[in-house]
Amino acid sequence: MEFAIRVSDMVKTYPLSVGEVVAVDDLNLEITHGEFVAIVGRSGSGKTTLLNLLAGIDRPTSGTVRVEGADLGSLSESGLAVWRGQNVGLVFQFFQLLPTLSVIENVMLPMDFAGKIPAGERRDRAQQLLDRVGIGDQADKLPATLSGGQQQRAAIARALANDPPLLLADEPTGNLDSVTADAVLKLFADLNSDGQTIVVVTHEADIRSVAGRQVTLQDGRVVDDERTGVSV
Amino acid sequence: MRVKLRRDLRATWSRFALMVIAIAVSLTVFGGVLFAWAAVGRETSAAYMGTEPASATIVLDQAIDTEQMAAIAAEVRARPGVIEATGRTQFNSEIEVNGSLRDIPIQVFVAAPADPMRMAIFDVQQATWPPSAGEIFVGSDSLTLLGVAIGDIVTVETPSGELARLRVADVVYDPSLAPAPQQQRGHGYLSAASLATSGEQAVMDQLKIQVADPGPGTPSRDRNAVVAVVGDVGEWLEREHGLAIGEIQVPEPYAHPHQGQADALLLSLLAGGAAALLLSTILVANMLNTLFTQQIPQIGIMKAIGAGSGRIGRFYLAMTLIVAGAATLIALPLGILISRAGVPAILGFLGIEADSLAAPWWTYLIVLAAGLVLPPLMALIPLIKSSRTTVRAAIDHHGLGANASTTTGALAWLGRIRGLDRGLLMALRNTIRRPARFLLTVGLLASAGTVFVAGMSLSSATEAVDEERREQRTWDVEVQLAGPASMDEITNMLEPLPDVSRVEGWTRTQTGVAGPGQIPLTRTYPDQGHGSVSVTAISVDTTMLPPPKLLEGRWLSPGETGAIVLNQITRDNTVPDVQAGDTVQLLVGGQPTTWTVVGIAEEREGGSGGVYATAEGFANAMGQPQRVNQLRIATNSHDEQTRIAVADTVDETLTAAGIEVQSAASVSQSDLVTAAHLGPIILIVLAISIAMGVVGGIGLASTMSANILDRTREFGVMHAIGARPKAVRRIVVAEGVFLALTSVAVAVIPALALTAVLGTGLGNLFMGAPLPFRVSMLAVGIWLVLVILGGALATDAAANRASHLTVREALAYL
Repeated sequence: MEFAIRVSDMVKTYPLSVGEVVAVDDLNLEITHGEFVAIVGRSGSGKTTLLNLLAGIDRPTSGTVRVEGADLGSLSESGLAVWRGQNVGLVFQFFQLLPTLSVIENVMLPMDFAGKIPAGERRDRAQQLLDRVGIGDQADKLPATLSGGQQQRAAIARALANDPPLLLADEPTGNLDSVTADAVLKLFADLNSDGQTIVVVTHEADIRSVAGRQVTLQDGRVVDDERTGVSV
Repeated sequence: MRVKLRRDLRATWSRFALMVIAIAVSLTVFGGVLFAWAAVGRETSAAYMGTEPASATIVLDQAIDTEQMAAIAAEVRARPGVIEATGRTQFNSEIEVNGSLRDIPIQVFVAAPADPMRMAIFDVQQATWPPSAGEIFVGSDSLTLLGVAIGDIVTVETPSGELARLRVADVVYDPSLAPAPQQQRGHGYLSAASLATSGEQAVMDQLKIQVADPGPGTPSRDRNAVVAVVGDVGEWLEREHGLAIGEIQVPEPYAHPHQGQADALLLSLLAGGAAALLLSTILVANMLNTLFTQQIPQIGIMKAIGAGSGRIGRFYLAMTLIVAGAATLIALPLGILISRAGVPAILGFLGIEADSLAAPWWTYLIVLAAGLVLPPLMALIPLIKSSRTTVRAAIDHHGLGANASTTTGALAWLGRIRGLDRGLLMALRNTIRRPARFLLTVGLLASAGTVFVAGMSLSSATEAVDEERREQRTWDVEVQLAGPASMDEITNMLEPLPDVSRVEGWTRTQTGVAGPGQIPLTRTYPDQGHGSVSVTAISVDTTMLPPPKLLEGRWLSPGETGAIVLNQITRDNTVPDVQAGDTVQLLVGGQPTTWTVVGIAEEREGGSGGVYATAEGFANAMGQPQRVNQLRIATNSHDEQTRIAVADTVDETLTAAGIEVQSAASVSQSDLVTAAHLGPIILIVLAISIAMGVVGGIGLASTMSANILDRTREFGVMHAIGARPKAVRRIVVAEGVFLALTSVAVAVIPALALTAVLGTGLGNLFMGAPLPFRVSMLAVGIWLVLVILGGALATDAAANRASHLTVREALAYL
């Protein structure tokens, strides 16, 4: 069976003056295509580190990370950037839209980088994605003129720009009010129902209502996995 | 706090290094020029005033014998306001060295053997004044020019027309004269004993006078006071001794003949250095502001744990002072080195040998003050603002943040251009994202570009003057006769000569210009070149005198009598209030004649002497038949070899016919004088542009570096959404190139304006008239290439850093 994500014996440590700090400790995780996985845990449990490792933003100290068929450890920084552009959509807590580009230009930018979508189709596709996340009428505005919820929707549209098989989100509702956060979660649920693989890192309890699987981390280890029922 | 200061400096050492370099480069230029200016001023003043120059020279219409001149000088010394008086004379001659005729003429200064040498003195290197009869001293800068050495026998023609064979006995250093190579004329010094002929005494026609300031016995600095005292002496000479005064020469007191040019040169250089220093300190203040802004979270933390605004302010002031101190430490010795290298060159331009190259002590204080005080002063506002940041504001601070500036919004329309690369679009918008930083960088680069293009254009303008002169100059050889001769006779003799196609002649005679009933007053220096005036009487059918551009009135009508045209230099120096239609007096050979000024012409480099009359008009006024003393000869092939051959043949032919020739030379010799005057200026203007270019380049590099720091997170996001390092690099380099190109566009109008200002100012200063307006397209092209390459290079480090940021580093930033 081909997994969307397969993490084996992964360890991630950070050297500090007082010694090494283990952020992820001998972690194994498999996620299949079409799953909506919520990775939860307290602050410092290693969930953001795990997401960074899955996105190729960080590299494991040991173990292997295979995402969408690629062994991330074997890719260079440049190779990782190309791989991300083709395979991963990233959503951040603070949206991270580029302020000098309009909303639609932000969505088109990953298409420019990846070159996967023909140049002539990029604007139409970007507009469709913005329509899909509900902010099609804001396409030509600069991000700073949008509300937080609208900016996060734009960020999700940007994450979907190259039609990536995997969507990774780091605290996507952490900077939103509850009503807006619910709307964003519903958007994730809709995307997942269309077959999109989604991994969300969060400490919000509301995620349970939309995610099909919940992986709980503590001290860098999986302490609970709702699908497998593994309990340490 | 000391530990934090040390660590902060270490953590951002590259940025501090850039700040230090930016200030050090401009402070070096500023300091170097200031040191040079002060040292040159001191040395020039000491050397020139060391010659005890005459405040004025009264030129008698008829020379008198040396004894009579000595008696008159003794009487003049007793007159009110006069410190010193002595008689002198001088003459110009061709020179033969060991029997070989030289192309360069010699100007010989003559003093009585008994001259006490208390005024208008010169430094005889080995021997003592006076040289024995039959000996001559030669100016030290004339040796190479004339190809003469001590012990050589030279032959010169004395004013009485006799050939004097003289042994070169020693060399003379005379800092009161412009250098011989610049004037293309050698200098000799002779005792009047050498001019005495067959029992008759030598004669003298110049009474040199030193005028005192009221009270103490120091030479006056007030030209008007000098004019008043010498005018009285002139009237007394006419009244009591019955002597006719040809002219009173009063040069600018205390000013070397090239003083104005040297001052203008150094002051413009100093202004350029000061501008570069000001721009670089503004740049550093901007860089410090960026640094302070980045430290706002730390300021918040320090305040939260008890640090006050004053303490934090002192901390950042110390940081600024370290930058300023380091730059000053680097710039001070470099400035001294530049000054030590430049002072001899500038003094060489003035013909002065330096006693000391050291700058005065106060200039070091100025450079120290400029280096240590200016940067903290410029950084004061951001420093105070940052140190007063509240804890709340520091917590809320998120760097450049997600807001784009209104200027970025103004470029939103660019997005509607189909097919425009998003990376380039982003680069273009980011270029103006920080308007103040953008303007500063563009301003720095545009300033450098402006000065560079203007400097090169100045060079083009002087080339245009040369071209214009060559185009208008249809003759190849200029001949100065010792006395007037018949033109018909000369034409008959010269036109049949091989390679001679046409001969024209006119009379050119030294003259004085004055208002009716006044003694002619000029600004002529002792070399009789700088500031002297001549009247040129031209024939109606001349083809070899291009009519000059007229500022007022009209040109001479054929055969017109009683009418003259003055050029603007002569008008300004002699009768500044005169306009076309006014009446003036010309004094030629002691004979006053009255003329109507029908026009004021604009000429460069004094033109042909400053006053023009028709040959008929001049002959009529002088009551003499039309004669010529100056010839212009056109050759068949116009090449230098033919010119020299024709000059030699003409000289031989005329001499053989009993017509004395003072000089006969190719026209190319006069080109050398101009080139020697203006060449250094162009080099210096270009040097300023290079200094400004370096500061501009650092400005661009630091701006880009600051921009990258500001947008670290954005680059992380770009990497996260699939941007490869080369894509990021391309965007950043494109920003640098956009900035550089913008600076080129901004520089267009200032460059045109500065070209016009420099062309007018330096043209008036060196040539007496504005240079033609020329913009060097070569300079525009070179600058465009330099600025684009420089922009790409200056941005490269920042682009490299941005492209290699990992996503985690970028997202963890701030």
